[in-house]
This record gives sequence, C-alpha cells and structure tokens, in this order.
Amino acid sequence: MTQPFRLPDDTTLVQPFRLRVGGTIDRTQPLGFEYDGVRYQGYPGDTLASALLANGVHLVARSFKYHRPRGILSAGAEEPNALVQLARGARTEPNARATQIELYEGLVAASQNCWPSVRFDVGSMGDAMSRLLPAGFYYKTFMWPPSPAWWQRYEHVIRRAGGMGRSAREPDPDRYEHCHAHCDVLVIGGGAAGLAAARAATACDARVLLCDENPALGGSLRGETDAIDGKPAATWIARIEREFGANPNVTLLPRTTAFGYYDQNLVALIERVTDHLPQTPAHLPRQRLWHVRARTVVLASGAHERGIAYAGNDVPGTMLAGAARTYVNRYGVKPGNTAVVFTSNDSAYAAALALHRAGVTVAAIVDARSTAQLQGALPQDARAQGLPILAGSVVVAAHGRLRVAAVDVTPLGGGPALRIDCDLVCVSGGWNPAVHLYSQSRGRLRYDDALATFVPDASPQAIVAAGAAKGSFALGDALADGHAAGLAAAHQAGCQAPTAIGAPSTIPLQSSALKALWSVPPRAKGDKCFVDFQNDVTTSDIVLAAREGYRSVEHLKRYTTLGMGTDQGKTSNLIGLALLAETLGKPISAVGTTTFRPPYTPVTLGAVAGHDVGPSVEPTRYSAMHDWHAAHGARFVNAGLWKRPHSYPRAGESEDDAVNREAKNVRTNVGVVDVSTLGKIELQGRDVAEFLNRVYINRWDTLAVGRCRYGVMLRDDGIVQDDGTTSRLATKHYLLTTTTVNAVKVMQNLDYLLQGEWPELEVYATSVTEQWSAVALSGPRARQVLAKIVDVDVSNAAFPFLAAGACGLRIAGGVIAARLFRISYSGELAYEIHVRADRGLDMWNAVIEAGEEFGIMPYGTEAMSTLRIEKGHVVVGPEADGRTTADDLGMGKLVSAAKWCVGKPLLARSALVAPNRWQLVGLTAEDRTTPIPRGAKLVTDPSHPLPNPMEGHVTSWCWSPNLDAWIALALLANGRARHGETLWAVSPLANARVRVRVGSSCFIDPEGERLRV
Amino acid sequence: MSDRDTDTIGTTAPGHYGAGPAQVTLCCVTLTGAWNLQGNARHASFAEKARQLFGVALPQMPNTTARSEAMTSLWLGPRSWLLAASGTSALVDFEAKRDAVNTLCGALFDVSASRVAYRVAGASAQSVLASGCPLDLHSRTFAPGGCKQSLYGQVNALYYRPDEAQAFIVMVARSFARDVWHALCLSAAQYGYDVTPTVSLP
Repeated sequence: MTQPFRLPDDTTLVQPFRLRVGGTIDRTQPLGFEYDGVRYQGYPGDTLASALLANGVHLVARSFKYHRPRGILSAGAEEPNALVQLARGARTEPNARATQIELYEGLVAASQNCWPSVRFDVGSMGDAMSRLLPAGFYYKTFMWPPSPAWWQRYEHVIRRAGGMGRSAREPDPDRYEHCHAHCDVLVIGGGAAGLAAARAATACDARVLLCDENPALGGSLRGETDAIDGKPAATWIARIEREFGANPNVTLLPRTTAFGYYDQNLVALIERVTDHLPQTPAHLPRQRLWHVRARTVVLASGAHERGIAYAGNDVPGTMLAGAARTYVNRYGVKPGNTAVVFTSNDSAYAAALALHRAGVTVAAIVDARSTAQLQGALPQDARAQGLPILAGSVVVAAHGRLRVAAVDVTPLGGGPALRIDCDLVCVSGGWNPAVHLYSQSRGRLRYDDALATFVPDASPQAIVAAGAAKGSFALGDALADGHAAGLAAAHQAGCQAPTAIGAPSTIPLQSSALKALWSVPPRAKGDKCFVDFQNDVTTSDIVLAAREGYRSVEHLKRYTTLGMGTDQGKTSNLIGLALLAETLGKPISAVGTTTFRPPYTPVTLGAVAGHDVGPSVEPTRYSAMHDWHAAHGARFVNAGLWKRPHSYPRAGESEDDAVNREAKNVRTNVGVVDVSTLGKIELQGRDVAEFLNRVYINRWDTLAVGRCRYGVMLRDDGIVQDDGTTSRLATKHYLLTTTTVNAVKVMQNLDYLLQGEWPELEVYATSVTEQWSAVALSGPRARQVLAKIVDVDVSNAAFPFLAAGACGLRIAGGVIAARLFRISYSGELAYEIHVRADRGLDMWNAVIEAGEEFGIMPYGTEAMSTLRIEKGHVVVGPEADGRTTADDLGMGKLVSAAKWCVGKPLLARSALVAPNRWQLVGLTAEDRTTPIPRGAKLVTDPSHPLPNPMEGHVTSWCWSPNLDAWIALALLANGRARHGETLWAVSPLANARVRVRVGSSCFIDPEGERLRV
Repeated sequence: MSDRDTDTIGTTAPGHYGAGPAQVTLCCVTLTGAWNLQGNARHASFAEKARQLFGVALPQMPNTTARSEAMTSLWLGPRSWLLAASGTSALVDFEAKRDAVNTLCGALFDVSASRVAYRVAGASAQSVLASGCPLDLHSRTFAPGGCKQSLYGQVNALYYRPDEAQAFIVMVARSFARDVWHALCLSAAQYGYDVTPTVSLP
C-alpha cells in the first residue's frame, strides 16, 4: 500500500517530486516562496501549482459548501479548486488560480475558505450534515420557521461558512492603464492553431495582434516533443517568434487573456504586465486593459478537458489527465508515485505514457471502451510499453481523505470491484472546446456527437474558430485549421497573400473514437460524485433539480449553482447538462447550454477603472489664473469639472470670516473674481438677432452694437433653463454667456436648434469658453482701478451700464487686446474684462496691481454668492430648479409679447398660471442673528403636528455682512403678495427653526443706482 | 504661447524622464493663431474666396488638411475648418477678415487660445497615445496630413498627423491641458521620454 501522504513539517527546500530533467523550467535559479506559512522552492518557469506539486503539496483548498479537501485539478484557466489568497496587505488578491500564477522569488500565498487550516477545517462538518444541504438548500432547510428573522440568523452563519477569499482593505497601491488597439486579424491563443493562423495572416501583410494567457507561446505544445515541419515544435515556435518580432505589423501579447467579446468585433484583453515580477518596476502599470477593434478574429483558445463523475472524484490527488501530462512534460514534476488513469478517449494515454516515462508507476489504465475499440496509436503504444489496460471498465469509487489512496474498478456494466492502490488518479472524459468568446460574440454552438461536446457553428460577427477551439484536437488538424483560418481572416480583412504559402504539418496519429461517459453511478447511497467542484454540485443534486421541475438548463444553473463562481463551470457545465438531458430523456442538443458571459476569467476592478481613479476619476478644468489662486491661499470648490476659488482665507481667518471680508470689501472698495468658467458662445451671421429672439424670452432685434442685455432661456415646456448676458460685438457678431455648469448643455441645444429645427437661419455658433479668461471687477472703486489699465474712456457717459466694447489692456510689458463689458452680478459698479486665455494671468496681475491702492481683494464663489443673494439674483439650480417659470422668479415682464420663443406656447398652461404658485421672495431672520437653516421649509405654525403643511422653501441663504443679518431667498406660495408677513423656517433634519420676515428678494439697492453710477 | 504660459498649463521642464532611453518625445507646440472658419462650402464661391482671403485651401474631404507656407487648415466638419499657424504673420487683422467672411455668408471666430497643442513623437508615440485615444493611429488609416477628432481619456481631442514619421499633434481645450499633459507623461514614462522645448506647428 502507498504510504499515507504527509506535508513536509519543516522548511526543507528540497523538491521531492521534481524530475531531474525535462520541462521548460530553469533549474539553475531556484526561487523561494511561501505557502500557508511554509517556505518552499521552485524554479523560473513554474506556476504556483507546479511548484507546490514539485514539493508534494496536492491539498490546497477546501470546497465552497462542504469544505471537502481539494487538490490541484488542472493546469490552466479552468481550475475550480486551487484558488489561493495571493500576496499580503494592500496587494492581496483573493481567488487567484494557482495554476496560472507564475512563480517569482518571494511569492506569498495562502489557502482560503478554511479555518483553522486546510488540513483540519472546522467547516467540513458541513460535509457530514450534507443531507441537510441539498441543491437549493437555502430555499428549503432554512425556510423554517417561516419568519424572516430566522432566515436572517441562518444567513449570517451560511454567508460566513461559504464565501471565497478576502479582498484588500487598503487602497490599491498599483497603477493600471487602458490601451486601444486596431488590427486586421486578432488571434486569440498562441498554441499550434493560433501560431499557424497568425503566420498565415502575417504572410498576407495583415496587421496581426496575437494574445496568449501564458508567459510563452506554444500553448499545449510547450514542453511536448511533437515535430512540426520535421523539426521539434520548440524550434518551429522559436522561428515564428523571431519572424513576428522582426515584423512591425505583428503585436505579440503574452500574459494576456481575451476575456470579453462585444459588438463590432470589440474584444477586451487583460495584460498582466508586472504580476509575475517580485517588485513592480517604476513607471510600469500592473495590468493593462486592451480594447481591440479587430476586422476579423481567429479564436484559437484551445480546449478544456472534462472529468468523469464518480464517487470520491474530488479527493486530492485526482487530476485531469492532460494536466498530469503537462506537469510532467512542461514543468518536470511528478504529480504522484503510483497513478491510475481513468479515461473514455485516447488523449489520456499520452498522459499515461508521459507518467510512465517520468518514472511514475502506472498501476492501471481504466478505459470505459472495449478492447476492440482501442485501435488508436496511443493505446497501441501503451500496450507495447506494457502498461496494464483494463478495457471496458470504470472507476466506481476513490478512497482517501486528504489524498487519494486507492480506487475501486468494476466492469462498465457492474460487477465485482478490484481495488487498486494509488496516490494519483488521472481522469479524462474528453475535451470541450473553449467556445466562451465564440458564444459571447453571439455565435451559435452545435452539439457534436462524435466529440460529445459543443463546437462553434456560426456567428454573426467576423470570427473564425480554429484548432481545438473548433474541435480539431489532433495537432495536424489544428495546424491545418489554423493556417486556413488565418488566410480566411486576412482575406476577409482585405489582405491577400503575395505568394501561396504552405500550411505547417506534422505526422498524423491514428486515433480511436471517444465514448461519451459522464458519470459512474455510486454503489453506496450517500457517496458523492462531483460535477462542479467549485460549487460542490453533485450528480444527485442535478437529478434532484430535474425531478423538482428545473428542466431548463438556465433554471438548473440558478437552482444548483452549477457553473457559477470564478471558474464559470469550465470543467463542469457539459457534464451537468448531459446528466440533465439523461434525466429528462432528451438529447443533449435539445437541452442546450447556458449563456457564456464576460469575463472569461476574473478581471481586477483596478484594470477596469484604469487611469480614471482618485482625483482622475473625472478630468479637472483649470483656469489660467489657477496657480495664482492656489498661491494666495484659495480654498477650491468644484463647479462642474472646474476648480474655482471658494474664498481666500488669510492667516488666522476662518472661511466664513474670509467670505464676509471679501463680500464687504466689494460693497465698500473693490473686489475681483475669476469668472473664466462662465460658458461663452459666439454667434455670427445675418440671422443672429432672429435666432436670439427665438431662444430667449426677451427681444434682441433692438440690441445695438456695443451693448449687452440679460436674457432668460426656457425649456420647451416653459420652465426656465438658463440665463446670461449677450453682447453685440459687431453688426453680425454676438457673444452669449451661460452659467458655468450649463455651458455644454446650452451649446448642444443651440447646435440642435440650428441644425435640426431652423437650418434656414444663417447663424454660426462656436464655443469660446476656452478662448477667453475673464474677471469681474466690482465695487464703488472699480472704475478708478480700470481707468489705470485700459486705453479707453470708462466714464459713465462714455461707457454706461450695459455697454460692451474692445479696448487695450496694459499689462506688464505691453498692451494686449481685451473685451470690456459693463455688467454687474454683485449689484455694484462692475466690469467684466476678457482677454485671450493665455494672457489670463497677465490680466489678473495687472488688475491686482492697479487695485492695490484702492484696497482691492480677490473674492471667491462664496462671496459672489453672498453678493448675489443680497441682490436677489437667481441662480440656475437653487432658484431656477427645473420647476420655476420666469414669472415665478419675478421676471415675467421680460417675456416679450411681440414675438414667439421656445417654451412660450406652453407658458399658458393652467398649472403655470395658477394663482398659488411659489414665487421668489426674500427672507430676513426676525432677530437677524439666528441662522436660517439650509433647505428649510416655510410654515405658519412650527408646532403643527407632522406633516406640517409647507408653504415654500428656502433656496439660498447666507449671513449678509452688509446688512448684518441672516437672509435667504425662498420660493413661497403666492409670495409676492405676502411681503411683510412673518413665517417660520423649519428644518426637522437640523432640529432648527427661525422666525423670518418675508420681503422683496432684492435686499440692497432695489433701484439699481449703485450699478449705474 | 509664451514660455510663462506653459507653466499655467502644467507642462514639465525640458529633460529626460521615465524609464530607460527615450522612445518618445513630448513638447508643446506654439499656436500663435487659430481661427475657426465656418461657411457653406457648397456655395461654389465660398471655398474659392476663402482660399483667396487666407491663402490656404479648405479641405473638402473629411479628416484631411491643407497647407500653405504660413498656415494649416484642418477639416472639422462639413462647414467648419480650423486655420492654425505658429508664425505671427499669418493670422492678423481679425476684424477685417471676419467682416469679409460675413459678407460671404460665413463666420470667422478667433479661437487662438482655446486649444493647447502637444507634439508626441518617436518610436513609441502611437503606444503613448493609445492609452487614451480610441482611434486607429496606424498610417494605413491615419496617414500624414490627416486630422481626426476623438478623445484622449475623457477629454475631447483633435489629432493632426504632420508630414513627419511617427509624430502626432494633439490639441485639447486649454482648461483640460494640464490633466492631459500629466496623463501623456504617465503613459510615456514606461517607454522613457524626453520633454523638449516648444516647437512651431509643423
């Protein structure tokens, strides 16, 4: 009997299961790594799985539901068991497939889903209680007593028992990037078929992009001894790689998985740039997400081997036969000492021969087929080598707990069992083409009876499958297939071969037909035959689900969780639906498959986010004066994508103090504010005045050159959309301004109206927001400052309120062209100056310097807001909140009776002219000093039981340093008729109430004398 | 743009950055003038009179450009072009030209400072831009002399391919330029890059 398997109990660095020769590993440079706290040694070229196997470690995980011990099943992307917690701290990554992690010096990994250890796991009690946990158990067992409270208690425990690894708690320290690529032919998979396809397409002068999930090209040829074109495969691969490297039309992407296939041949790839390196080099992203637009796609993604369900087919030491062969040939690792091979097709014989050559005792090859059916070259070879073949037999049960110890073999039709000792079982039930991306491309699949699997049939997109991905499992077929697919894809992309090139070839192997065998019925009741290892779905779960009426394959999936999880059932789906078909008495083709969805293998969220994280989640817009603001203590606020100065607190000053000082200084001296962010649109053409008449409520045909006017724009439904000033710069040349946040929306709307509604108007529009830096200079002393720096007469007579014109602006080192507007948002004497944006900072410095003797101070958006609230100027958002009309905002008189405009027809709707509409009013705290709470409701009786009838609400509020009182703007039912009333502003959220007096929305200078001086 | 202005858009000082020997160079491109000309090119006289007025042809094929000694005209749309120049002599006397275009039932807008232009050149130029640009930059589909409008990251960008191997001009709105420059540098760092002094529009 084989010795019971033991983990090494000290930190020995030997690799007892490493072969002395063979494989594509580099034995000259040992690598140290740590798994579950134990130090091991491996070699460059290893995966974590192969290095663990070299050290005799098979047991790596506990299953999801029953916490059964599990070992390494595969050698690739299909791995359902060997999921590990990789790395520590901020870089830790759960559910990493040990079979695909490249080994590097210092790698740290741990088993997951078990406590306290993978060898002794408390959760495995679930296995003993498995009769309580049938398929869909959470809909059944834990539905009693029928109260949600009980389910919530169960759920807490169930969720903790289940679940996979843990995600990092810290922010991701790595950088990720996106990359866009275009090609004529995208070849997915760099195995025999993919290389042949890429070679053929390249010969047609096509632009080719070849990706492969492995670090090296060759696919299943890696480490094998097949000959291509009379030379070892490795030589053929190396030659192609050289050719590709020298060809600028070929892009090679190793360590890159194609994971999603979208419309118009958009394929998403994930490139693992630095994951295989012990230290992330500076400047390199950890991973790169490729968006590839391919004219055509060759899918050469290979195939996944499937197992056979029998009792105990999940005990560690059980492995897919192809994986065992890979571990021997590619990694130079013996996966065990004594092997039993259980198969229904020829491919496992290659594994048996490889194991035999590596010195593993092949105790038996158990083949479900009869001796007469074993005429293929590989079975013949095995027979010639003297390997014992038990034809017409099946493995009916495996024994062992933490490692397989023996199997029971019976004749296929039943009979006495023969017990064979072994520490390795290699299983092959056949191969499933990796059709995931084909299916994602909306390609149809067809069930192939001879191969007992689904193969690609037809896709509406330009995709060709080749090689094993198409069901051409023999090397010669794969090469011919790939070659033809590469030529066809290149032709479809419009590329032609200058001269005919021949397909690569190999010596064909005679093979015998496969026998479809999905499961072997257990002999003992309660023996579990696993279909889906990751989700612990057994054959009896599937039969039970079918019996309970889950006859659709999609229902089966959701009820049993078959094919869910990180592996998405790559090894299990087909067995599951074959069993469903068997139970339902239907052909497999009639049962069909579940839908394949992206991603093919899990993708890190960091790669999906790419560059757009943290402060870069959106781009930031900076004004030309930004650095001055920052250098002078500005606190910034986001306005759309812009950063705008909120206020400029001085040393020892709070933000509130700064706002009050800045706002007061504008009313007493002079202030300057950066208004570059306002939307600016220039209009030219014969019909601009007519156009403005149509988009604004007021009249524009009367605006003279050199004048500006305030305008209000409505939506189609009559509600206020935006406001701003428009100036007439020349006969046919106008400048329209919008609010900062609405700039793009207004431009889009104007473009739409010009192109879609009124193409007959001769009006051209362009956004000049970025062309002009702008400042507003406000305050009683604004003219004195301005007069120092402009070369025009700015007296009230020469440049009155609402004048607009060009001027020269004196800056350090000369005079630059500027535009000057006498418009006021603050209600003070005010000017706006616009200069080319690359001169913005020069203008700002000139204004600050000229204003110094007049006590000029920069002010931010908060002081600007205080000033406009004091003046009762409305803002799009708080007051024009998408529900208010121009009349509600006290601008009803602006609506010209003499003309039509957008939104006007619907202004007469009964609801918009109802008597009790909410109208703009001003509020002052009765005691002046109690803050008016933000967003407060206006009520007559604050003690009224809830719900308290609401008569309006506060829209904007501030402490007014100029009035020495808390003031607010509000919308109040029939508000204009209620000046003088007192009401309560209440905020149940802030538990605050304040008595307020209703009045005009304009608190300061209602006659507008200050701005006309 | 003046040298001081390059500070306000966040560009880095000339020198070598990133990993290894430089496979790409980044720099600012002077745009002393950029005018947006709009008009109905189907009016036979418009394109011809505009050509006489500005001394450069208006390309009619989408995504193409035309060049004169003094300036480049880039196709922006069926009725819209960008006239761009590095020299100080080409785009002068805006008001008179605007009035002249207005009489041709067209429009002329001064957008000289609206855009910031960067030159990305060298063996890895396409790779650097591919981090944010969804266009196919290969010369088979984007030949020298072509211009295309797309994105760099989330920012609108106008790409112009001058008549020199492996060089691209990227123009973005000024307020976004600082972010775009940083993103270009981040992408270029893995290839190694040189920042070179400002150049004229090729």
